[in-house]
Amino acid sequence: MDIFNHLLFGLGVAFEPVNLLFCFIGVLIGTLVGVLPGLGPVAAISLLLPATFHAPPVASIIMLAGIYYGAMYGGSTTSILVNIPGEAASVVTCFDGYQMARQGRAGPALGIAAFGSFIAGTLGVIGLAFFAPPLASVALKFGPPEYFSLMVLGLTVLTFLAGSSMLKSLMMACAGVIIGNIGLDLVTAQPRFTFGLNILLDGVGLVPLVMGLFGISEVLLNVEEKISERDIFKTELKGLLPTLKDWKESLWPMIRGSVLGFFLGILPGGGAVISSFVSYGVEKKLSKRPEEFGKGAIAGVAGPEAANNSATAGAFIPLLTLGLPSNAVMAILLGALMIYGMPPGPKLIHSHPQLFWGTISSMYIGNLMLLVLNLPLIGLWVRILKIPYPILFPLICLFCLIGAYSLNNNTGEIGLMLFFGVLGYLMKKFKYDGAPLVLAMVLGPLMDQSLRQSLLMSGGSGWIFFSRPICLVIFAAVAVIFLLPLIPLFGRLRKTVSEADES
Amino acid sequence: MRNPDQTSGLFWLLAGTGVALTSLQYGFGTFVSPGAGFITFFAGTLLCLLSLILLISTWRKQKAQSRLGDLWKGLEVWKAIYVLGLLVLYALVLQTLGFLVSTFLLLTLLFRVKAQYALTRVVLLSFLISVWAYLLFDVWLKVQLPKGILERIF
Repeated sequence: MDIFNHLLFGLGVAFEPVNLLFCFIGVLIGTLVGVLPGLGPVAAISLLLPATFHAPPVASIIMLAGIYYGAMYGGSTTSILVNIPGEAASVVTCFDGYQMARQGRAGPALGIAAFGSFIAGTLGVIGLAFFAPPLASVALKFGPPEYFSLMVLGLTVLTFLAGSSMLKSLMMACAGVIIGNIGLDLVTAQPRFTFGLNILLDGVGLVPLVMGLFGISEVLLNVEEKISERDIFKTELKGLLPTLKDWKESLWPMIRGSVLGFFLGILPGGGAVISSFVSYGVEKKLSKRPEEFGKGAIAGVAGPEAANNSATAGAFIPLLTLGLPSNAVMAILLGALMIYGMPPGPKLIHSHPQLFWGTISSMYIGNLMLLVLNLPLIGLWVRILKIPYPILFPLICLFCLIGAYSLNNNTGEIGLMLFFGVLGYLMKKFKYDGAPLVLAMVLGPLMDQSLRQSLLMSGGSGWIFFSRPICLVIFAAVAVIFLLPLIPLFGRLRKTVSEADES
Repeated sequence: MRNPDQTSGLFWLLAGTGVALTSLQYGFGTFVSPGAGFITFFAGTLLCLLSLILLISTWRKQKAQSRLGDLWKGLEVWKAIYVLGLLVLYALVLQTLGFLVSTFLLLTLLFRVKAQYALTRVVLLSFLISVWAYLLFDVWLKVQLPKGILERIF
C-alpha cells in the first residue's frame, strides 16, 4: 500500500500548477522535436537545459522527462506520414505505419500509435513505481567497487549497442572518460588538461558538450546537404479512433510491447530503440499472418510504439535508483540533477521524495496530456512538419548560442560548444558515435572517484572487483557482452539497432 | 592518409599518447594511493591500444574502403564552413555589439544560407526573432544577455 500512498503524494506534487505547466511544456516540446526530423530528444533537452537553471528543480526534471517521452509519441507521426523516423526509436513504425498511410489508413495508424504509447507509458510508470524503491533499497548496500563495476557494465552495454563499430564506440568511451576528468582533481586540486584556460578549471560542462555534439554538429551536417523536399503523404486524416477490429489486433501486441519495452529499457544502452525492434520481431513471430508485416499490419505499429514508450519509463530506474544513466538522455538528466544539487542514487527516494514521486506521477499526467495533444492536434503537427529547414536551423543555432552563453555569461562557453560542434561533425563523418562519449564523460569523474576509493579499501589490490559477489556477477556480464557479437543472432541484432540509430 | 579510418585512427592514437604521457606528469601515484593522472593514464593507454587495432585492421582491408575525400563528395562543404565562421564571429562580437544587434545580424545571414528568401522578409523575421528571444531569455528567464552598443546609445 505504501506505493499507492507514495503515488498519491507524487500526484499532489505533479498537480501543483507550476509542475503541471512545466509538464505540459515538456510534452509539447517533446512532441515537436519528435515530429521534426533532424532534432531528437537529446538535442532538445541539451538546448533547454540551461533555461531550467532558473526554474524550480522538480519542475525542470518533470519538463525534461516530458520532452523525452513526448518525443517518442511525436516520432511516430513522421514515421507514418513521411516514412522518416522523427527519432531512432520510431524506425520500426515506418515499416507498417507508412504502408497503412499509403492504403488510406493514416488515421487509425496514428490513433493506434497514440493509444499504444499511452497504454505503454501508463504501464511503464506503474512498473517504475513498483520496481524502483526495492532496487534502491538493495543499492544502499552497494560500495565503491560495486558502483565502479556497474559503470563499467553501463559503458560496455552502450558501446555494444551504439554506433556501427564496437571498437570505435569503445574509443569514444575512453575519450569521454578523459574529457570528464578535465579540470581540478577532486583529491589533490591539481589542474588536469586545462591548457592554462580558466574556463576548463571547473571541467568541461555537460551543456556545451552535448549542444556541440548533438546540436551544432547536426546543423553543420545538414547545411552542407543539398535540399530535398519532404514528401508528405497526401491522405485525408479521418477516423483517428481505431475500429474494434483494430483494437482486437493491437491489444495484445501493446501489452506484450509494454512489458518487453519496460524490462529492456532498464538495461543500459539504447533501450527504446532495441525494444521496438524486439517487439516487432516478437509480434511477427506470434502473428497468424506474418506475411502482412511490412505491408500495413496494425500490430506492427502498436507493439513497437508501446515498447519504445514503456522503455522510457524503464530507463529512469537505473538513473533514479543507482545514479547510473542508461543512455545519452539519461546522462544529461544525471548531469542536470547534479547541477540542481540532487545527485541521483539510492538515497534520492528518501532525500528528495518530491522529485522522485513527483516525476513518476507527472509522467502519468504527461501521458494523458500527450493523448490529448496527439489525436486532436494531429493536423497541427502535420503542418509543423512542413517548416522548411532553412528557417529551422538558424533557430537551433540561436538556442545553442544562448544556452551556452547563459551558463556563466561567458562567451568562452560558446567557444567550447563550437569546438565540440566541430568534433561532433567530424565524429559523424568518420562514423564515431557520440552517445558513449557523453555517457563516459558524465560517468568519468564518478568512475575516477569509485576506482580510487575501491583501491584504497583493498590496499591497492584489484582483486576487490572479483572477490565481491555483486562485482563478480557484473564483470561476468561485461565479459559475456564482449563475447556476444560472436553469436550470429546477437551480431545481427546489434547491427540492426546500430543502423536504426544511424538512420 | 588513404581512408577515413586510418586518418581518425592516427588522430586518436596521437591524442591517446599525449593524454597518457601528460597523465604521467600529473602523477600516476600507486595502486594504494592513486594520483591525479591515474584514471586518465589508463583511459589514454586504452585509447592508444584501440586506435592501433583500428589502424591495423583498416590497413589490411584498405583497398575495399572509401577514400577520405569521399566524405565530402557532392556536398556544399563551404556552407558548413560559412555557418561555423558566422557562429565563431558571433561569439567574438557578442559582448561588444550586444545580444540584439549581433543576433539580428547572425540570423539575417543564416536565413539566407540555404534558401534565397526576399531580404525584407529575412530582415523582418530576424528582427522579430531577436526581440522575442531577448524578451524570453533576458526579461522573463532573467538570463543576463549583453546589451553592448545599444546600452551606450540609449
